[in-house]
Amino acid sequence: MSSAAGSLVLDRAEQEQKEGAERSTLVDFKMVTFSLGGKDYGIDIMKVKEIAKFSNFTYVPNSYPYVRGVYNLRGDIISILDLRILFHLPVPKDGPLTNTENGLILRLEENVLGVVVDSIDKVIGISSKDIQPPHPIFGDINIKYIQGVVENGGRLYIILNAESICAREEGARKGDLPLPPGDPGYQHEEAAPAAAGYVQSPAGGAEPERDFIRDTLKTFRGFYVTPLNEEWFLRRFSEWKDLRQREGADIQLKAVEDAETYLSNFYSADTGRFWNENLAVQYSRVLGESGGKIVNAWNVGCGRGYESYSLAAILSKKYSNRIIKLWANDNDLIAISTAANLLFNEADIPEYLKLYVVTGKNGTGFQTDFKNKIFFEYHDAMHSNTLPDLDIIVARDMLSFLSPENQRKLLTGFYEKLKPTGVLVLGDNERPLDSSHWEPIQNARSSYKKS
Amino acid sequence: MRVEYINPFVEASYNILKEVLGSEVVRGELYLKSTSTPVLGVAALVGLAGDVEGRVLFDMTKETAIGIASLMNGENLTTMDDLAKATIQELANMITAQAVTKLHDLGFKFDLTPPALFTGENMEVSSSSVEALIVPMKLSCGKIEINVAIRERN
Repeated sequence: MSSAAGSLVLDRAEQEQKEGAERSTLVDFKMVTFSLGGKDYGIDIMKVKEIAKFSNFTYVPNSYPYVRGVYNLRGDIISILDLRILFHLPVPKDGPLTNTENGLILRLEENVLGVVVDSIDKVIGISSKDIQPPHPIFGDINIKYIQGVVENGGRLYIILNAESICAREEGARKGDLPLPPGDPGYQHEEAAPAAAGYVQSPAGGAEPERDFIRDTLKTFRGFYVTPLNEEWFLRRFSEWKDLRQREGADIQLKAVEDAETYLSNFYSADTGRFWNENLAVQYSRVLGESGGKIVNAWNVGCGRGYESYSLAAILSKKYSNRIIKLWANDNDLIAISTAANLLFNEADIPEYLKLYVVTGKNGTGFQTDFKNKIFFEYHDAMHSNTLPDLDIIVARDMLSFLSPENQRKLLTGFYEKLKPTGVLVLGDNERPLDSSHWEPIQNARSSYKKS
Repeated sequence: MRVEYINPFVEASYNILKEVLGSEVVRGELYLKSTSTPVLGVAALVGLAGDVEGRVLFDMTKETAIGIASLMNGENLTTMDDLAKATIQELANMITAQAVTKLHDLGFKFDLTPPALFTGENMEVSSSSVEALIVPMKLSCGKIEINVAIRERN
């Protein structure tokens, strides 16, 4: 599929032709195209009553600059807006008061409205699937006027939302919209090239693209970019951009799968499986030599339980003469319901876990004594809990999927539940929001102690 | 709530309801609740003690309660009289007892208290320090929400 922003800078005429042939079979959206300030725009043909040449407007005193006046359309009086002024685009030098203007008459839900444009181009049929959603980089032209962007014949058309243009007019009449200084000749000459420039060169608009990905990650995967994971996010963004441009694919995330691909290298090592030998050694180095008979541990977001068993094995080895109590929670009932009686292939488990394996009639699982160290609970971490004070909290890659507010709340909860000597283990690409409360443990994998 | 506890309650509720009502029972999606729970009108409560502490609450509207009592007694009841109340208590007892029996087989030791029945308008049950598992059950005569809040003794 063609893309809006990325492809513009590339010469893709050849592909264009191929796609054009494919697309022609799927035409389900027609639009009237026209130009404003030298750029191409479109409006849904169903909203266009007719194409007209306007002359002899009747000027309405004390109206907004972009209201050119009223017009007598075969007996019906309609108002005429100038889209160039509304969008702060340059009006041709011969000025707005020439005799005849090109325009469209729009038939909207509530009324009929005329708009003045530079020139009418033609009618284009496209497939509505090819319409890309509006992009935050369209800074100057308020995003609510834009229904989407579509590419056709090597040109990029911005599809305007006729209804919202009309809504603006009504809103403005009520005087509830801030407007540019009210002299009728107001024209924002400088802003025009800038606005158009944004659309044409996405490279210059890295910020909005990044923000757009932030938004779509949230929408598609419930992943919230905050200082918790921002370092990873920024690194991944530049890598992603290179990758997608090389592949000729769109930078934007358009579906859950794209978001999943974007997040593919976010997850910590050995997510969803037993920790390998090396990782186990790294995590066990983090554990301190605190006293007490019982070691209390909390594994938040344990999923199917692989992580919990790995952790339990590390703790059992490190604190061989103490009682281990590990609470493992997840709010995904399906995932956690198999955790307590996890079965696996003996060949798949690392050496340090083999000690606890037993083969029964159902298959290979863990010994009861070992399993009794872990309490798998169907629990939502945002609800209150009755856990005792803890020696270690392992919460890998779960905070990032909480709202910023909940991230903060849960981290505070972790802080309160941890013993003074306790350790917090986060995901490989996460760090605590409030660095003044947490101090990274030297030479350890994303682990923190209270400071 | 420990995952081992969930199935016994879900299975016991389903089995018993299906058996005593003799009609189709549909289980809704399970979920967790932490805030105080409004009670629909009739609530039967069974306390749990032993390895754990907690309670099971059977929550339904008065109409549903009368409907269930009518079906279980094989006669048409119209008010929430003593017979209807005793029937709902018995239902709560049967379900909790079967769940506890299943849990016992899994190696968890629970005791239960005799059921208590509450009826009234605008009631609310608060046990905000323990998160409750909600098992919604759809019956021919309405719905029952089985609200299980159990915590380990530390």
